[in-house]
Amino acid sequence: MALLTVKGLTKYFGGLRAVHDLSFEVQPGEILGLIGPNGAGKTTAFNLIAGFIHPTRGQILLDGESIAGMKPYAVTRKGIARTFQIVKPFKKLTVLENVTLAAFLRFPSRGEAESQARRVLERMGLESKISALAVDLTLSEQKRLEIARALATQPKLLLLDEPMSGLNATEIEQASILVRDICKGGVTIVWVEHVLKAIMNSSDRVVVINQGEKIADAPPEQIVENPNVIAAYLGTKRR
Amino acid sequence: METFVQSIVSGILTGSLYAMIGVGLTVIFGVMRIINMAHGDMVMLGMYGSFLALTFLKIDPFLSIILWIPIAFLIGVFIYRFLLKNIVPAGELNTLLYTAGLSLFIANLVLLIGTGDYRTIKLKYAIMPLRPFGIAVPIPLAIAFGMAILITVALYWFLVRTDTGRAIRATSQEPEAAALMGVNVDRTAIITFALGTALACAAGVLLAPSLYLYPTVGEILVAKCFVIVVLGGLGSVPGAIAGGLLLGVVESLGAVYVSVPYKDAIGFVIFLLVLLFRPSGLFGVGKS
Amino acid sequence: MKKIIIALAILLLFTAPWIVSAPFFVHLMIMVLMWAVLGASWNILGGFTGQVSFGHATFLGAGAYTTMILYLKLGIAPWYGIPIGGLAAALIALPIGFICFRLRGPYFALSTLAVAEIIRLVALNWESLTNGPVGLLITTLPDVTFGERLIDWESKIPFYYIIAIITLGSIVATYIMSRTRLGAYSLAIREDIDSAEAIGINTVQARVAALSLSAFFAGVAGGFYAMYLRYVDPDAVFSIALSVEMVFIAVVGGLTTVAGPLIGAIVLVAFGEIFREIFLVHFKLVGHLIFYGLMMMIVIRYLPEGIWGKLRLWFGSQH
Repeated sequence: MALLTVKGLTKYFGGLRAVHDLSFEVQPGEILGLIGPNGAGKTTAFNLIAGFIHPTRGQILLDGESIAGMKPYAVTRKGIARTFQIVKPFKKLTVLENVTLAAFLRFPSRGEAESQARRVLERMGLESKISALAVDLTLSEQKRLEIARALATQPKLLLLDEPMSGLNATEIEQASILVRDICKGGVTIVWVEHVLKAIMNSSDRVVVINQGEKIADAPPEQIVENPNVIAAYLGTKRR
Repeated sequence: METFVQSIVSGILTGSLYAMIGVGLTVIFGVMRIINMAHGDMVMLGMYGSFLALTFLKIDPFLSIILWIPIAFLIGVFIYRFLLKNIVPAGELNTLLYTAGLSLFIANLVLLIGTGDYRTIKLKYAIMPLRPFGIAVPIPLAIAFGMAILITVALYWFLVRTDTGRAIRATSQEPEAAALMGVNVDRTAIITFALGTALACAAGVLLAPSLYLYPTVGEILVAKCFVIVVLGGLGSVPGAIAGGLLLGVVESLGAVYVSVPYKDAIGFVIFLLVLLFRPSGLFGVGKS
Repeated sequence: MKKIIIALAILLLFTAPWIVSAPFFVHLMIMVLMWAVLGASWNILGGFTGQVSFGHATFLGAGAYTTMILYLKLGIAPWYGIPIGGLAAALIALPIGFICFRLRGPYFALSTLAVAEIIRLVALNWESLTNGPVGLLITTLPDVTFGERLIDWESKIPFYYIIAIITLGSIVATYIMSRTRLGAYSLAIREDIDSAEAIGINTVQARVAALSLSAFFAGVAGGFYAMYLRYVDPDAVFSIALSVEMVFIAVVGGLTTVAGPLIGAIVLVAFGEIFREIFLVHFKLVGHLIFYGLMMMIVIRYLPEGIWGKLRLWFGSQH
């Protein structure tokens, strides 16, 4: 059974159609890439799945259970964690405190939560920065912190919103390895990305969204040859 | 029926002055995201200016506006340049708290310098109200209304026809784009704040002959001002004008048809409802 | 070291009225402590949880009126009435929270102001319950013995000890909260509410919990106010000025610190009083507000972490 099923997902903001009749499935253990031109509706889709906005129509099922319309914290409790496109760390708290807060979800006692936090931070390569204030980290470190925080909630599904934006080539390379590692660790991943090379190299499957609608759903090597995808990115006029 | 019309007329007259105060506040918020808790005290200063002009300079309060508008403008420049400008980077909430402190300081300084006595301004030519079509219109209010209209028209001309005015509107909508287009955001901010302050003071000068003056009148005025600005949509000048008129009329009708004590509560209830359900204002033109 | 200071402070708290027994000073100390409680109450919501309320007088007033009405109409002694007042305040905090927490930041602040004003106007007009603008008055407090002796309610000393205990309670409660999950969650909410939701924190529940705890202490302080001053009226206990003063005490003292409100109360109330005596001859009644306004501006500009917050940072960097 698919881990996440999105069926007929539609969202209108007033008269503006952001997402229309979007349907796809995510299988457990896979990395699904979500791409599309700017303004295509990718982040809206994320916000819908994570509960930050509610669908006008459509279904969102996690392990067969409907989660559409749930509040964000409830969605997280069910097992979906997310990162934000523009990182939102708890700035004036330390790195450890940031992740411990997230760990509290599954580890109610402070001692256990802190241990969990340390474990996750080690996996993310941030153990040397444990006592630093989140605001003092570099962007790449803050992005790793964001992911660490999400992982501390022990999600089944991780939604990554443009984790590569703002990173240099080396950092992108490291991030791609990290994403694959996380998946190997048992977390299913859906990620939105503009750095096409990275997402094409690391995803098992790619869904392409344009103007709120799905226009392709296939493994990466087929996506790059899909005329609709090319048209969406480059425009429809062929000379 | 006559009472109804009378209410509406009174409401519009007072509302026009509320509108002026509201425009001042909304423009400051729109351009600089400053929620100025001291705005009501600017009105209060204008009111006292009016009073002082009559008492010590023997100038008619309405004429004294020529004196007070530039002074108020300068005070606004001073407050922004030397006080507020340093606080704005610390965030909206800190700015709110800072202006709350400023408000307390100004109101109580005036209390200290003068006394707390309620004062009124009595004008010799204002004893009997005008009676167009049988509706009683107090003369000071009528004059104030007329001048408020003049000032609003002048403001409209300024915002739409001058470069500075257009810069203000641009910065209000898209500060970054405006900066990229070469708008001097800093200068625009100073002018906007000074303008808002001058509007508030001017409204105070005009209102003084019609209301009781006391140093802490700013407190209730700023609360009403927020109602207006939220009703009309934060940052929207036409919205503030509409909101001011609306509040004036609602209060006036409320005083007649609902019991007098609860009439102030009406404004706040509407305020809450708008904040909760239509944060971009009744007309949907504000920023939320 | 820290424990010694705390022990000394508690010792000082309970022996102060014997050291300085002039009624004026005891009254001053009572006021300082009462404002410390109000500041601590505001700090729980505004400091730790980052939700700036400009309507906290609502809870003060709710507690004050509950205590008054229970005593005057049902004969329930104030020492039962005060905690019940606190509970009443905590209860009305629930609907207020659910309404106002839909808003954020400055809009939340303004909505609390609107709610406070609405409640003040209701209290002003619901004469059968509150006696309207005339207010309620306590003429005699019930006879109570402490050990062997009858408590002399004419002296200020018994009131001092009551408020001292309440103050200690509010500080201990703040401390305990800061060590629990609610405290940690509150800090997260203060920093970034969306992130907090994203990591599984039910932010509405957490904020309402913080608000209720905050309201409880404001209500208790309100009950004490009613008992000590023996008179309440809507403009005294539901005023915007009171709400604003609570904010000032917490901010000047130091948000998110446990001792901040106490320091803030000492600085503002005590120095405000001195300021009034020295500089103002004819406006003693509200002259201290100039000082408050000035302090607020200075603190926000130069000491955003508050006086105590700054001192703590300074002590911290010394070691």
